[in-house]
This record gives sequence, structure tokens and C-alpha cells, in this order.
Amino acid sequence: MSDVLARKQKKRSAIGDARPIAHYSIAVWLILLATIVVPLLYGIFLSFQNYKLASAVPPSFVGLDNYVHAFNASETWSTLRITIILMVMGMAVQIPLGVGLALILHQNLKGTRFFRSVLIMPMLLTPVAVGLIFRFMFDTDLGVINWAIGEMGLPKVNWLGAQTTALIAIVIVESWQSIPFVMLLVLAALAGLSKSYFEAALIDGATRIQTFFKITLPLIAPTLFVIVMIKIMDFLKLFDTIFILTRGGPGNDSTTLGLWTYKTGFVFLEMSRASALGVIILVLTMPVYFLWRRASQQARS
Amino acid sequence: MKTLKNHWFSYLILLTATFTALFPLFWTVSTSIKFKVETYVLPPKFISFTPTAKNYTSLFAMESFTRIYMNSILITVVSTLICLIAGAFAAYALARRASFSGRRPLEALMIAVRALPGIVIILPLFNLGSFIGIYDNIWAITLIYAGFTVPFAVWLMTSFFEQIPIEIEEAARIDGAGTFVLFRRVLFPIAAPGIVATGVFVALLSWNEFLIPVIMAGENSKTLPVLVAGFISNRTLDWGPMAAAATVAIIPIAIFTIVIQKWLVSGLSGGAVKE
Repeated sequence: MSDVLARKQKKRSAIGDARPIAHYSIAVWLILLATIVVPLLYGIFLSFQNYKLASAVPPSFVGLDNYVHAFNASETWSTLRITIILMVMGMAVQIPLGVGLALILHQNLKGTRFFRSVLIMPMLLTPVAVGLIFRFMFDTDLGVINWAIGEMGLPKVNWLGAQTTALIAIVIVESWQSIPFVMLLVLAALAGLSKSYFEAALIDGATRIQTFFKITLPLIAPTLFVIVMIKIMDFLKLFDTIFILTRGGPGNDSTTLGLWTYKTGFVFLEMSRASALGVIILVLTMPVYFLWRRASQQARS
Repeated sequence: MKTLKNHWFSYLILLTATFTALFPLFWTVSTSIKFKVETYVLPPKFISFTPTAKNYTSLFAMESFTRIYMNSILITVVSTLICLIAGAFAAYALARRASFSGRRPLEALMIAVRALPGIVIILPLFNLGSFIGIYDNIWAITLIYAGFTVPFAVWLMTSFFEQIPIEIEEAARIDGAGTFVLFRRVLFPIAAPGIVATGVFVALLSWNEFLIPVIMAGENSKTLPVLVAGFISNRTLDWGPMAAAATVAIIPIAIFTIVIQKWLVSGLSGGAVKE
């Protein structure tokens, strides 16, 4: 048996060595070089200049000035703080709800297929359109959400007009769109678990809650780790929803670091400063990137 | 009946979740077929209102609407084709060879694209673009879309190619098939469902993309999400046309979802972990 396997493997590698294959990826390389690598390098280059859009003065090199400015500017820190707050709030909502829904769907009750396909829908929709829909629903005077709150006898909330409620609104919308993603990943992880663990727990007389915390949770922990990494990256990326819902307002109260980079470049036309912020985001993403890469490689093998 | 009794709590949660997932869609569509006065009344009119197509006719009557819709379709279709054709070969290499020169940097770069916020790439691209004149150039923009989505396409297709038994390929080789014939006659037909599914997902990403066109596109190559977003800055507070625009953007996706049922789950989680 192992003899056959070994022969098979040998055959596979023999074919593999016989024909060069690196050139198959040339097209993808060219696309990525043109659209990702070159702009990235140019962004790093720009971050050491003093380039402003619509400025008559030709740009010159200013060394680390833009980075020094970024570190001293209060907006860098306040927008980073907002990014982290959104990240933490978002994960606190999405992971428990996503896991909960996955556990319910995993029971394979009647109608599971229907529920699953309906629940997936929000994650497919255009984020810009979703932002618009919720902006309408969050409207202070005419919004259906405040109407429902009023029906319960509670006072109206000016959702997008104050920092706390604006951040809550953003988390609600982002969660509405991405809970399905968490749910799908957990569902896939649950499907891969062996039934024997659960049978053993049943024989030992474990309650459902014990089974979840002692068996299910440790087993799906690697997937949850991947989800946390993806969520961190997604919140660093989050743009469309906030752009539509609040434009980062009131003031800069719901502006994330990414949106601040956008504003610095395209509202204040400080392209070099914005590039420096971009490089800072790049550096912030690095550790997550490496952890995620390791985690997903482990999940693969 | 027995399941209902034993699992009433599960069903309660599933129904609540379904309501939460669907209500915003229902509300958008219903707002899009209301007259202005009826969007301004409280309590909100959920069902009892006089439907109108006015919001749609005024949207379609916008002189730029057709062009914008065609731009969205053109960019989506062409960038998806680029992704599939370029991506299929790279995916084949990744699926069949444990190592080849450039494999590791390629993988690292593809993960970086997934990890990096778009603004980090788009901002310098805009500045570069105004130098070399690709601002508002629909073909350049299409290529940028492809750059943002090709890693996802490669990942998905790699897992589809991995599922094809190598014996089939070896048999074709022994029968004297060259690389081109092998791809066209053997691999593509077998991997077709997977390639189609990948295309659907890449198309979805491109259709929804906002950051690239909002920065790189001017009047000439504007896309639907940019049009939809534009309703906000007008500050007209006319929700009907706004809801109509949102509906026009999401209805194709809702239909899509139903059509591609079969591949949904594997495709959607495909970029992150493998099933």
C-alpha cells in the first residue's frame, strides 16, 4: 500500500520537475506589479516628499517630516483610537452572534438551507447601497428605527449626530453585513469536527453549555483566531460604510485612520502627508498579516 | 411538529435573524415605489401606500444613468475575464507544484492585497495616475479592479484545480497532449463549474467596489456605487430616488444569490479557510 503511494508521489514529482511552470504566473505578476507593487513603492517615495495637490511649488524631499508630523498630530492618535474602538465593538458583536447562528444552523433543523441562504444575503450587497439604506433608517425624524424606539416609549436618538451613537450605528451596519461571514466560517469549522467528541460528551452526561465551552469552543478556536485576524484587517480597511453613513462625522468623531488618510489626501490635498499615513497603516497591518498567514497555512494543512 | 416543539428557541432566533436580514431590503424597495409625501409620514407606511414607478423613471431619465450602468457592467465583465484568464494559469501552477521560482513572493503579495486597506494603494495610484494620464481612463481602472480581485480568484481556482486528479492529466500527457490542448480540452472543461463560480464572486466584488472608482473615475468612467453615493452629498433628502438607486444596485445581486445557491458557501468562505 505504502509502496503504491510512494510510487505515485514519485511519479508526481517526476512530472513536476520535468516541466518548468513559473511562467504560468507571469500574467498575474504583471497585473500585481502594475496595480499594487508600483503604487505601493511610489507611496513610500511620496511620503518622504512635501507634495501637495494643486500647489505651484515643485515637491522636494523633506526626509521624515511627514512622519514626525503624523506622530505629533492629535488626529492620527484620535482616529487610530476610533479605529480600535470600532474593531473591538465590532468583534464583540459579530463573533458571538456569528457563532450562535452557526451553532443553530449546524443542528440541521428543517429549513436550514432556506435560512442559510437568506442570512447570507446581507454580505453580498453593495456596501455603499447598504450604507444609504441604513442612513435612511437611522434618520432622526423620519427613520424607521427611531419610530420603533418611539413606539416603545423611549426618546428619539440623534444617531449620526453624536460620537457614541454614530459609532454604535456604524458597528450595527458593519455587523449586519459581516455577521454572515463569521457564521459561514464557523459553520465550515463545525462541519469538519468529528462526531465522536460529542457522543463521548453525551455519554458523560455533559450539559449543552458544558459541551460548548469544554469541547466545541476549543475545537473551533483556530477558526476563531483566523476570524479575529480577518476582522482586524477589515476594520483597518473599513471605508465605504463610514463614508456613506457619517463621512467620519460629526467633525472627525467617527473618522478611522483609513478615512483620515483619505481626508488628508483628498480634502486637505496633503498628498505626501497622506502617503506617510498610508505607510503607517501598512506597518500596522504587518503583524496581523504575518499572524494571519501563519494561521491560514495551519488551517490548510 | 415535534421539531418545532423541541427547537422553538432555535426557530425564534432564526426568524428574528431572517427578519433583521430582510427588513432593510424590503424597506428600500418599498420606499423606492412610494411618492415623496408617503416617505415623510409617521407612522411609516409599510404596506398600505399607492405604488409609483416615478422614482425609477426619473432615475432612468438621468442623462448619465445609462452610461454609468454600462460602465459598471463593462468594468465588471472585463476585469472578471482578466482575473479568470490570468488567474487560471497561476492557480494551476500553485495547485500542481509545491515549489517553483516566485511561488513564495507571489503568495505573500496576494495575501498582502487582501490585508492592505485599499486607500494605501489607491492614493499613490491617483498621484501616479495624474502624471501618466490614466485618471478617468476606463481601461486603466478596469485593470486596477483586476489587480484588487485577482488574488481572490487565484485562491479559489487553486482549490478547484487541486480537486482534479493528477491521473487525468497524466493520461492526457501520455496521449500526447501539449500544454495548450491539455488546458483547453481537459482541465478547463473539468474545472468549469469552479471557474464559473470564481467568476461570479469576482464579478460581485467588482460590482460593489467603491474606493477605486470614487478616486480614479471622473465623469467619463463613473460607476453605479459612485452614483448611489452621490445621492448623499446632494442633501435633497428625497429618499425615493435614493432608494430606487440603491435598489437598482442591489437587485441584480439578490437575483444572483438565488441563481448561484450551489456554490455560495464554498465560494464565500474560500478566501479564508478551506472546507
